[in-house]
Amino acid sequence: MINPFKTIASLLLLVLMTVMLPSSPVHAESKKYKRTVEHYTLPNVTLINQDGKKVSLQSLVKGDTPIVVTFIYGTCTTICPVLSAGFVNLQSKLAATGQSPRLFSITIDPENDTPKVMKEYLKRFRAKPGWDFATGSRADIDAVMKAFNAYIPDKMSHYPLNLIRNPKDGSWVRLFGIMSSREFLEEYQGVVGK
Amino acid sequence: MKYIDTLLLFLLLTSLFLFNVPPSHAAPGALQKAEIIRLGEQMYRQGILPSGKPMPAFIRGDVEVDSSAFSCSSCHLRAGLGSYEGGVVTPPTTGSKLYKPYRRPPSMGDTMDQSGRHIYAKTVQERPAYNRTTLASAMRFGVDPVGQTFNDVMPRYPLSDSDMSILIDYLEALSSQPSPGASSTEFRFATIITDDVTPQDRQALLMPLQNFIDRKNQQLAMYSDFIKFGYIPTAEMKYAFRKASLDIWMLKGPPATWQKQLTAYSTKKPVFAVLGGISNQNWKPVHDFCESERLPCLFPITNFPVVSETGWYTYYFNKGYAQEGEATARYLNRQESLRDEKAILQIVQDSEAGKALAAGFQSVWKEIDRLPVTTVTLTAAQLTDQGGMNKILSTHSYTALLLWTDARLLPNLKTMISRLSDQGIVVMSSEYLGKNMAAISENVRDRVLLTWPYRLTPYVGPKTGQFDAKVPTLTSAKDYGDRRITSRSVTMLLQATLQGLNRIYDNLYRDHLLDVMSMQMDLTVRDYERLSFGPGQRYVSKGCYIIQLGPGADPALIPRSEWVVQ
Repeated sequence: MINPFKTIASLLLLVLMTVMLPSSPVHAESKKYKRTVEHYTLPNVTLINQDGKKVSLQSLVKGDTPIVVTFIYGTCTTICPVLSAGFVNLQSKLAATGQSPRLFSITIDPENDTPKVMKEYLKRFRAKPGWDFATGSRADIDAVMKAFNAYIPDKMSHYPLNLIRNPKDGSWVRLFGIMSSREFLEEYQGVVGK
Repeated sequence: MKYIDTLLLFLLLTSLFLFNVPPSHAAPGALQKAEIIRLGEQMYRQGILPSGKPMPAFIRGDVEVDSSAFSCSSCHLRAGLGSYEGGVVTPPTTGSKLYKPYRRPPSMGDTMDQSGRHIYAKTVQERPAYNRTTLASAMRFGVDPVGQTFNDVMPRYPLSDSDMSILIDYLEALSSQPSPGASSTEFRFATIITDDVTPQDRQALLMPLQNFIDRKNQQLAMYSDFIKFGYIPTAEMKYAFRKASLDIWMLKGPPATWQKQLTAYSTKKPVFAVLGGISNQNWKPVHDFCESERLPCLFPITNFPVVSETGWYTYYFNKGYAQEGEATARYLNRQESLRDEKAILQIVQDSEAGKALAAGFQSVWKEIDRLPVTTVTLTAAQLTDQGGMNKILSTHSYTALLLWTDARLLPNLKTMISRLSDQGIVVMSSEYLGKNMAAISENVRDRVLLTWPYRLTPYVGPKTGQFDAKVPTLTSAKDYGDRRITSRSVTMLLQATLQGLNRIYDNLYRDHLLDVMSMQMDLTVRDYERLSFGPGQRYVSKGCYIIQLGPGADPALIPRSEWVVQ
């Protein structure tokens, strides 16, 4: 249950913080991420989501709505929570306009991230329906990372990446770095065509 | 009422920010020091305010996050000495480090990277010392004492003065005293052995441990000679060379008395960490002792670890027997012919091993929402009673039998399989059967699946486990029944532990050792396909093959699943 007062209080507090400290990061809205448009050929692999259900990657990404893909892992302490917070905020911002984005996190620690771990992760981030988290065999996960030009041999050297598929031409907007929720929303809306 | 409280809190916070009142040291004055530390620890580790509510937090300016997923210890880790992962340097956050000027080690954010990675990895490179006021500003607004803005991955926490004061008190106390058993010149270790272990197995453990200690001391002697001859060491070198000693903590008698014995050993001569250990009994009393003493216990040889999601101080190779049961559940769940749970019968030998295998199976079976299978627990005598067994098997046409028993059942296996449905299969534990695994009759081997928690693909290196490309060990397939005590202990010492010890430098805190070890890259080792780490992960080998035996007295081990069954 969201407490409206708490939200308003937090926002006002933030505004005050902004007024008091000109160097506050709220002003630091200059683009800090790198954007490119790419084309990828995805492997024909079947992954397993947080409910233990099989998911065909190729059929999942297809469809007439965009899908946002990230690579994270359940026990990550640095980049992944930041990426996932971005997902949470995108969901809540779009929910206000009646939209529900399709979000897909793929683990880079398939040995540890069982459906149970992934389900608890989504719960911790209060994910709404539409955000799935998937694991698979190491070989399949490696193939997916390679297809997205995001291969890392060890999860300890990962980096922040969001990929948004444009359903009109199948291209992918590749966003490297950490975005503010406004930037993320704008990038998403750009693909949707709004 | 609740809204009024929130409004009041808001007005209070607003006034604090408007007048920029430095956090008062006396705010939580009514609280005892121990209570302040407890509340501070709860904020630091779990992101929960003293009120019990989540700490509010913002990242990248406008992204509101729930700090239970963004607690301080998530990035700065439990000991507060920071971390390095994914190109992000997280600086230390203990009082003793914060109240001194700081210059962080170089990271890839300092140089231009073609891929543009620097854009998120850049952190403040140098700053003067904090005090309580500037530290509060740092956490609220993300600026250091000279106004430099933090990296965007550091959340900003709009805390009240009272909460801020508690958190700062905690940071001041965090890792403020070196842990027992370590000094700038010495590491003291112990290993734990219970009295049920055979002299051969004891020797198999002690040989590599003693060798490790001797080598460390020999290196120290060489290093001292270099210094005498005028060699100037790098700063890091001096941390790599310390005197080391090893005590053997022998535990005698019933497990209920172990805690008392351990307390006596530890009080007499505290150690920094327990290096390995071995027991054929349940490791739980030792596990619990190490949790309560906050004493790291690194990779004991046991098939009975404590399987827990919250255990912190013991690193295990894997979940032991439970892991074999878990892999079986996942494997059977994939078989379309086994959708009916009534067709699966689990026969459990009334022993510690049988129960651990069954518990592992059942935990995953339940987790994946399958209905419980029929389970029968039998004594060793009942297992060999063919009449009784026939009676059990005649109650239903079973398609799968899970036989969590030792080898005494093997003579009956053929008859038992004949009572299954046509394609019926049997699953057994290779670890529990041990050397008797090859006694499985050749004419039923196509119906018998075995759990195999060790490596099957070739590994290059000698049997001692240390990497040496000149001495290839092409397979460990014939090693069934080998407990791999020496090779696994060498892995533990030279691949996992030594990395941790060398990287803690002069931060001699037990929690820091565990933090550093948890951030290691994956390891390729002799006995397991892969060891992987991660914050909070304590069972480093996650795999277990399902295999079948080939023909002959020295059968090939044929994998029927991947290393990690999903």
